[in-house]
Amino acid sequence: MTRTAGKAGTQVGTGTGPEGGLAGGPAIGAPAGAGNGAGAGERRIDWAARYMPVLQAIGARFAAERPLAGLRVAACLHVTAETAVLMGALKAGGAEIALAASNPLSTQDDVAAALAGYGITVHARAGVDRDTYYRHIHRALDVEPDLVLDDGCDLVNILHTERTELLDRVRGGCEETTTGIIRLRRMAADGALRFPMVAVNDTRTKRMFDNRYGTGQSTLDGIMRATNALLAGRTVVVAGFGFCGRGVAERARGLGARVIVTEIDPVKALDASLQGYEVRPMAEAAELGDVFVTVTGNRDVIRAEHLAVMKDGAILANAGHFDVEIDVRALGEMAVELNPGVRPNTDEYVLADGRRLLLLAEGRLVNLTAAEGHPAAVMDMSFSAHALAVAWLARESEHMAPAVHDVPAEIDAEVARLKLAAAGVAIDTLTPAQEDYLRSWRLGS
Amino acid sequence: MDFKVADLSLAEFGRKEIRLAEHEMPGLMAVRKEYADTKPLRGAKITGSLHMTVQTAVLIETLVALGAEVRWASCNIFSTQDHAAAAVVVGPDGTPDDPKGVPVFAWKGETLEEYWWCTDQALRWPDGTGPNMLLDDGGDATLLVHKGVEFEKAGAVPSPAEDDPEEWKVILDRLRRTIAEDPTRWSRTAAGIKGVTEETTTGVHRLYEMERNGTLLFPAINVNDSVTKSKFDNKYGCRHSVIDGLNRATDVLIGGKVAVVCGYGDVGKGCAEALRGQGARVIVTEIDPICALQAAMDGFQVTVLEDVVETADIFITATGNFNIITAEHMAKMKHQAIVANIGHFDNEIDMAGLARTPGIKKINIKPQVDEWVFPDGHSIIVLAEGRLMNLGCATGHPSFVMSNSFTNQVIAQIELFTKTDQYPLGVYRLPKHLDEKVARLHLDALGVKLTKLTKKQAEYIGVDVDGPYKPEHYRY
Repeated sequence: MTRTAGKAGTQVGTGTGPEGGLAGGPAIGAPAGAGNGAGAGERRIDWAARYMPVLQAIGARFAAERPLAGLRVAACLHVTAETAVLMGALKAGGAEIALAASNPLSTQDDVAAALAGYGITVHARAGVDRDTYYRHIHRALDVEPDLVLDDGCDLVNILHTERTELLDRVRGGCEETTTGIIRLRRMAADGALRFPMVAVNDTRTKRMFDNRYGTGQSTLDGIMRATNALLAGRTVVVAGFGFCGRGVAERARGLGARVIVTEIDPVKALDASLQGYEVRPMAEAAELGDVFVTVTGNRDVIRAEHLAVMKDGAILANAGHFDVEIDVRALGEMAVELNPGVRPNTDEYVLADGRRLLLLAEGRLVNLTAAEGHPAAVMDMSFSAHALAVAWLARESEHMAPAVHDVPAEIDAEVARLKLAAAGVAIDTLTPAQEDYLRSWRLGS
Repeated sequence: MDFKVADLSLAEFGRKEIRLAEHEMPGLMAVRKEYADTKPLRGAKITGSLHMTVQTAVLIETLVALGAEVRWASCNIFSTQDHAAAAVVVGPDGTPDDPKGVPVFAWKGETLEEYWWCTDQALRWPDGTGPNMLLDDGGDATLLVHKGVEFEKAGAVPSPAEDDPEEWKVILDRLRRTIAEDPTRWSRTAAGIKGVTEETTTGVHRLYEMERNGTLLFPAINVNDSVTKSKFDNKYGCRHSVIDGLNRATDVLIGGKVAVVCGYGDVGKGCAEALRGQGARVIVTEIDPICALQAAMDGFQVTVLEDVVETADIFITATGNFNIITAEHMAKMKHQAIVANIGHFDNEIDMAGLARTPGIKKINIKPQVDEWVFPDGHSIIVLAEGRLMNLGCATGHPSFVMSNSFTNQVIAQIELFTKTDQYPLGVYRLPKHLDEKVARLHLDALGVKLTKLTKKQAEYIGVDVDGPYKPEHYRY
């Protein structure tokens, strides 16, 4: 069992197998965790931790209750400062952790390096090729996990296809994104899923914070950092009006852009329309947009026929999970000239008629690649639910079927409650008379 | 007490509405409090010619509280709220049998003859004297005095020309009668007037014209161009009442509809913002590149009317120009598209052209809402016959907006009446520190806490700690 540096050759983050809990290294995100002498990664993690009060509170509780003592966790998540704080909470709960990246471009190398110092094994580096990306996931699985944490279902998929020898040991896992859950449900429907998976994406707090507010803000942050384009007065086409799309559309409008939404779902399209957005098919929107953002979870949302009619200088960005939403291959085939890196994270494709299309982050998640992903305060919500769900799984997995499970409503409410407390927001509670009223069906006016 | 209103028994209802309005007019109420002891308008005899509404009642009673004697007429034959007029006549302490308020000459639905008779009465004190101050909206009281003086000097009132407007004939007739009764009345009246404060663009335009050609007889303050007047009336007032008008007239769901706003001046900006706030997708048309760019930077699609005339659901004109929506445009519109105007005059939508469309039928749905059915069977809905839809279909500006313009009016009256020497013949705007004062008086009611400049900060930007804070050319 190898969980140390050097053997795999490619990982930058290294760590020794921790003896358990906080003894393996300094507490992640603790106030004294990163002093002036700390490295960039430590400072970054410390900064994120400041905005993650809920996860910190859970970490403190875990340190006392040790709900994960003796368990091994293989995680495939974006290796960012916020993820580091989650890892810290799980480690405080007694877990031994191996972490791989869930995206070849999104790793914050300094954070990966810092995690090693906290006693967490990391297999990740920004900008790796496809083979290395998958090799890293294999290395994380080498920990022989009891529990898995996934973001996009790549790790669980490999486990069920290439690493079946590990399946018997796995008690269950958590999946972070919509895309991953769609894959898991297909696996479950085929009878292929071998252990319970908790859809931590599907909590009300996560959808609200992560998808709507997190993706909304960070996607525009990514576009602005990559291009420095003024959005006021420009036409922004948002493909998909799910929670993410709605967040992106709201933020784009807030910056003064004219927003066009494309949808395939009539209910969502109607919602967008009633919120005052222009709803059109992509075939029409393609000619009108200055900036395109795909947030659908589907492939080929922007394809050759659309690229063919776009304006000179159109900006293409994807904020959906995978890099399939914009048909980058078609773009490459149409281009007569490619100027990579005209700005960091911005590649210019010159078409035969001279039009230039700007692809951000190679069509991968622009908010993670060109900016810093969700703000820590947003990740505080989803990762807190994640942490509590892991503890719940550790406790209950024996009684759970190999299927996709929702996070219990109590965990969702607990996360929201802790967040409100951290923000100093007080709310009302029902009076006994009100509770009676809600229970009774006899009382009318 | 002489007066003429529709029905004094409406006074109680009027008083209830005045009481509600007082709460929403914090500027006027603050002025009453500030000048309760000094009564700076003691000795002022003010003739007002301004829409006799509930909000105006609060203005009138503020002038009285400051010591003025007041006589009032409306400035529009349709705009009087009869219950407000009755309540002002009865006054807070009187009864319909024993009115103790202010002489008002106004009712809803005056003829033109009656209208100018009312204006004449408001300018005539029972002892035969006239006012020493005018408060005008549109300049009709100012006009009557100026024309009276002109004709008295000329020795005769001219006969109207064949093609003169009907109203001009009525004015000449009124002046002919008054000059026959008392050949020097208008000259004496004009000599006694210290000045006029004018409420609106149209009246201000007349004043500047008279100043230019040397016929202006007394100084004037242009209240219209105070920031706290024009911004509130145009932008915030219309932002409120455009939606109110649409809802009351049609109750159509605005969310999801495509609304075209013609013109992106202050009125258009208010309308576009309000429609967007209701979930409409708003498209703007403009002729001015600056306003068009502003609209684009605010995230609105800007295009020409022809591009969207067939697809939009709601059309609002706010240009101040004529023939914006032509009969040809309306013929191409979607079935049951809503067409309305919020600009000052009723010529932005070509109603005459619409009526001339061969085979068109007009079906009245309810007051101020007409369905016009084209021969092909499709129809459009026109609000308020193309007149101001916020006044026609709703109740125009709310009290809080009017509190801003009327506080300007009161402060301008105090300025002209108490500092007559500082205002030689000419047209003035209210000094900026008074504009700022009007705004200041409305902050408390909204719970606004203002930051105060330190002396050093004030010096750094070269202003006084207490204002004015902006140069004259500042655009807000």
